[in-house]
Amino acid sequence: MSLLNINNLNVRFGDAKAVPVVDGLDLSVDKGEVLAIVGESGSGKSVTMMALMGLIDAPGIVTADSLVFDGHDMLKLNARQRRKVVGKDLAMIFQDPMTALNPSYTVGFQIEEVLRQHLGMSGKDARQRALELLKKVEIPAAESRLDAYPHQLSGGMSQRVAIAMAIAGEPKLLIADEPTTALDVTIQAQIMELLLSLQQEQNMGLILITHDLAVVAETAQRVCVMYAGQAVEVGHVPQLFDIPAHPYSEALLMAIPEHSEGAERLATLPGIVPGRYDRPQGCLLSPRCPYVRENCRTERPALDPKAQSLARCFYPLNQEVA
Amino acid sequence: MSVVLTARDLTRHYDVSRGLFKPHAVVRALNGVSFELEAGKTLAVVGESGCGKSTLARALTLIEEPSSGSLQIAGQEVAGASKAERKQLRKDVQMVFQSPYASLNPRQKIGDQLGEPLLINTSLSKAERREKVQAMMQQVGLRPEHYQRYPHMFSGGQRQRIALARAMMLQPKVLVADEPTSALDVSIQAQVLNLFMDLQQEFNTAYVFISHNLAVVRHVADQVLVMYLGRPAEMGPKEDIYTRPLHPYTQALLSATPTIKPDPLKPKIKIVGELPNPLNPPSGCAFHKRCPYATERCSTEVPAFRPVDTRQVACHYAEQFL
Repeated sequence: MSLLNINNLNVRFGDAKAVPVVDGLDLSVDKGEVLAIVGESGSGKSVTMMALMGLIDAPGIVTADSLVFDGHDMLKLNARQRRKVVGKDLAMIFQDPMTALNPSYTVGFQIEEVLRQHLGMSGKDARQRALELLKKVEIPAAESRLDAYPHQLSGGMSQRVAIAMAIAGEPKLLIADEPTTALDVTIQAQIMELLLSLQQEQNMGLILITHDLAVVAETAQRVCVMYAGQAVEVGHVPQLFDIPAHPYSEALLMAIPEHSEGAERLATLPGIVPGRYDRPQGCLLSPRCPYVRENCRTERPALDPKAQSLARCFYPLNQEVA
Repeated sequence: MSVVLTARDLTRHYDVSRGLFKPHAVVRALNGVSFELEAGKTLAVVGESGCGKSTLARALTLIEEPSSGSLQIAGQEVAGASKAERKQLRKDVQMVFQSPYASLNPRQKIGDQLGEPLLINTSLSKAERREKVQAMMQQVGLRPEHYQRYPHMFSGGQRQRIALARAMMLQPKVLVADEPTSALDVSIQAQVLNLFMDLQQEFNTAYVFISHNLAVVRHVADQVLVMYLGRPAEMGPKEDIYTRPLHPYTQALLSATPTIKPDPLKPKIKIVGELPNPLNPPSGCAFHKRCPYATERCSTEVPAFRPVDTRQVACHYAEQFL
């Protein structure tokens, strides 16, 4: 039994006829596994995780055949029960560390708050544990930082504090939503290394949401590529990077400057992601796909688990002829 | 080849008030940057936040006067130029900004925004301006009907095309682009980068391309200038810098950049700590507190920016990395 099991997740905003923002998503994460979700803006990466955390309010509608985390059916929990799980066993790190922390409270108070709420610690114990956590995320001069306010910290330091808060409840699954996008390259490398070492140490599941394929190649074991709300390919690293099966995965890889080294022009997909009003009837990529055929425009492909790699395409690439 | 932009020892210091009774502090945002740029070539400026990239851009585009040093645009000295001469010079240097959302006027139609540079700087009639605008719109891949639209009706990638078209309206000799693709998705980034390259070939414009993304820089640049805390660290031909970086900071930056083809055998250079406070920079070499090779000499003596091999490096021990 995997730690997280998502089956046919749909998220819509508005009535039942509205265009789904997340469309029939299946996903599972095991204990100790690093899964990356990649895709461009608007592909539904973050909304998927918000749905899992129960952060989608009306008019958002979340439906799923199953949305089970660690034995809890996340759709059936009421608010009180959900608060017991979210923040403790299921924690999240956000993109912008500066806005993720409350500017009115000290760093120490905010970490202790997690310990008080979820672990019933208080007073000296909580402060002692908060200090240990700050040391664990390698913050220099941790003692003095306990009483610092978020504005006194740099972006990298704030992200470390956010990580300390997330791991305070020793979560089983950590969701990191673009954790390094706002940071400089050398700081990004430090934060990714910290996240991975914590993940291994505590044997957590880690879901890494990112648009940076290079970060995925260096950290994840499995990757799910999303396009316009659908998972278009799920595969292992590095196989997906060497032999992508879905034309969109291939196009994403080709668009990275590193991929076309020495070339005059970068390979591009023409056009942009379909919006609310111009969603194609067939495969969502069909208007942009270089390999499009007749039936792609009228029928929608499914994620075929029998194919050699899991791709939502009628004519997956790089398949060996049987 | 003709040199269109020459910077000699460009310096920009800011006075920072620290309170009523304390003396002002000086931030050396830009400290002795020199380079020459030929028509049709690209100089890429890389470095982390706070390294002086954007201050350099502001000095080059005459938004701010340098505190000292000289700047020549198309052979004309900027310091001491009369008001009329400066107006002329401004036509020759144009800029594209990072955020395509903030750099366009939300209340003005695209056609009017693109025509404005012509209205201010030329004596063309309304019909002639319209014709020129439409020619440029076609060149950057916008359709004629976009002329009457407002910025909010465009996607991020299209807006960056508009911003680029506006900068190119006067056919400047130098285009300064400050992180032009960092707000865009990978596949859109590839489209915009291709457009940058096409326009450069068409108009033989010199680009100063500011970015923190080393993979993008590798694709667009001819020369690369690496900056650290306001000072140049290394400058030279792109291929030399990428294949054999001589400054430890360049080495660390390249090593910290994630890649889609990670090599497990190649150890990552770990770089500790964060960027020092620019109000209180370290003595000697600004990088010595984070440098794995730092010696006694580095903490006392500021390394000169000197020619080594095919490039210029500001490190006492650059020869050792040859």
